[in-house]
Amino acid sequence: MVLKLYGSRRFACTRRVGVVLHEKKVPFEFIEVDWQNGEHKSPAYLDKQPFGQIPYIDDGGLILYESRAICAYIATKYPNQGTVLIPTQLKANALYLQAASIEVSQFNDPAEKAVLEVMKKRAQGKTPDKAVYDIHIARLRTILEVYDKILGKQRYLAGDDITLADLYHLPYGCALTDIGSSIMEEMPNVGRWFKDISSRPSWQKVKDGVTSTAKCSICPR
Amino acid sequence: MVFKVYGAWTVCTHRVLCVLKEKDVPYELTIIDFSVGEHKSPGFLAKQPYGQTPYIDDDGFILYESRAICHYIAMKYADRGPQLVPTELRADALYQQASSVEYSHFNEHAVAAATAVIYRPVYFNLPADPVAFDAAIGKLSAMFDVYDVTLGKQKYIAGDEFTLADIHHLPYMSILSVETGTNVIATKPNVDRWFKDISSRPSWKAVLEEQKLAQGK
Repeated sequence: MVLKLYGSRRFACTRRVGVVLHEKKVPFEFIEVDWQNGEHKSPAYLDKQPFGQIPYIDDGGLILYESRAICAYIATKYPNQGTVLIPTQLKANALYLQAASIEVSQFNDPAEKAVLEVMKKRAQGKTPDKAVYDIHIARLRTILEVYDKILGKQRYLAGDDITLADLYHLPYGCALTDIGSSIMEEMPNVGRWFKDISSRPSWQKVKDGVTSTAKCSICPR
Repeated sequence: MVFKVYGAWTVCTHRVLCVLKEKDVPYELTIIDFSVGEHKSPGFLAKQPYGQTPYIDDDGFILYESRAICHYIAMKYADRGPQLVPTELRADALYQQASSVEYSHFNEHAVAAATAVIYRPVYFNLPADPVAFDAAIGKLSAMFDVYDVTLGKQKYIAGDEFTLADIHHLPYMSILSVETGTNVIATKPNVDRWFKDISSRPSWKAVLEEQKLAQGK
């Protein structure tokens, strides 16, 4: 039975799962959730994702939500298919979890807030608040200055091999560039690293929106 | 060489100490002096470049981010004490999911609540912010409504076994319950049952006792 990804094709968290599915060469059917009409708050949806958030997967009856948990599940279920994305050796695994934790605790919040300040205001036909935007970018810059030191000594965030921790940065990292920020290119090592991960074929396949790579013709929606 | 923890008597260090005690791993705790900016000193930043606590030194292996440290300890000492990380694929996925909910959603609102009524007056000499507190508690209440349904079907947050996902919640659940004056946990029967269970574990009681002794209270 083909894995089903319920999401919104251009949402950051949906594309985060999409890039990992492609990296691990796992076929999937993509189903667009009609969030603009509140589908994610419907009883049927809440039965699967009780926090009313996007995305979730249905893998042969296993329902899973939280994009990074889904990514870790896929990488764990298919350890040797496609790219190895979670190190198994004890210390290498710990350094991967350290990097993945920093993405959530330090990178995601200012990146997401900067992106949403601009995108939401523009969608409403309003001017983004520059003072608010600048605060988030300044926070992000402080974090990326540390990244730049780390990436001056190793190729990726957890060591010399790519891991999920690197891929998690793609959706908001690229969105920052899309809204006109050059922060992901400003520093030499961060720039080198981000160009590397954002040019991977797996990201190219989802960066403009996730689409199905397989169809489950006998399964109900 | 003994396991070294460099931390403070705060949430993130509590998490790590709780796991060390669950696994019965001896350790040496060094308290970092924030009041003199020790966490921003070159010596500290050489180990933890974000200037935060805790970090560990396990015979020369340096690691930071409390949840990463907790997982490292659980895996290194997998052969002793409770199994805090599931090994079976489906159980592990549900553990990852519960951990992610804690990290990406619970933590943010818990921090906001604690900041509004504890950290603002205690650390920043600012008045408490009851409006921000009520907003954070409102968000937590909605989250706990979901938790209450889950915990009505299973004993712990990721399933019927105690995992790191429960420990990750413990420090802020404790602060909310004991120090902020909210009864939001008590109003959700299954969440309340779960919290009473995990906070009565000897490991957690030992962490609080150690802090009491260290601070001469």
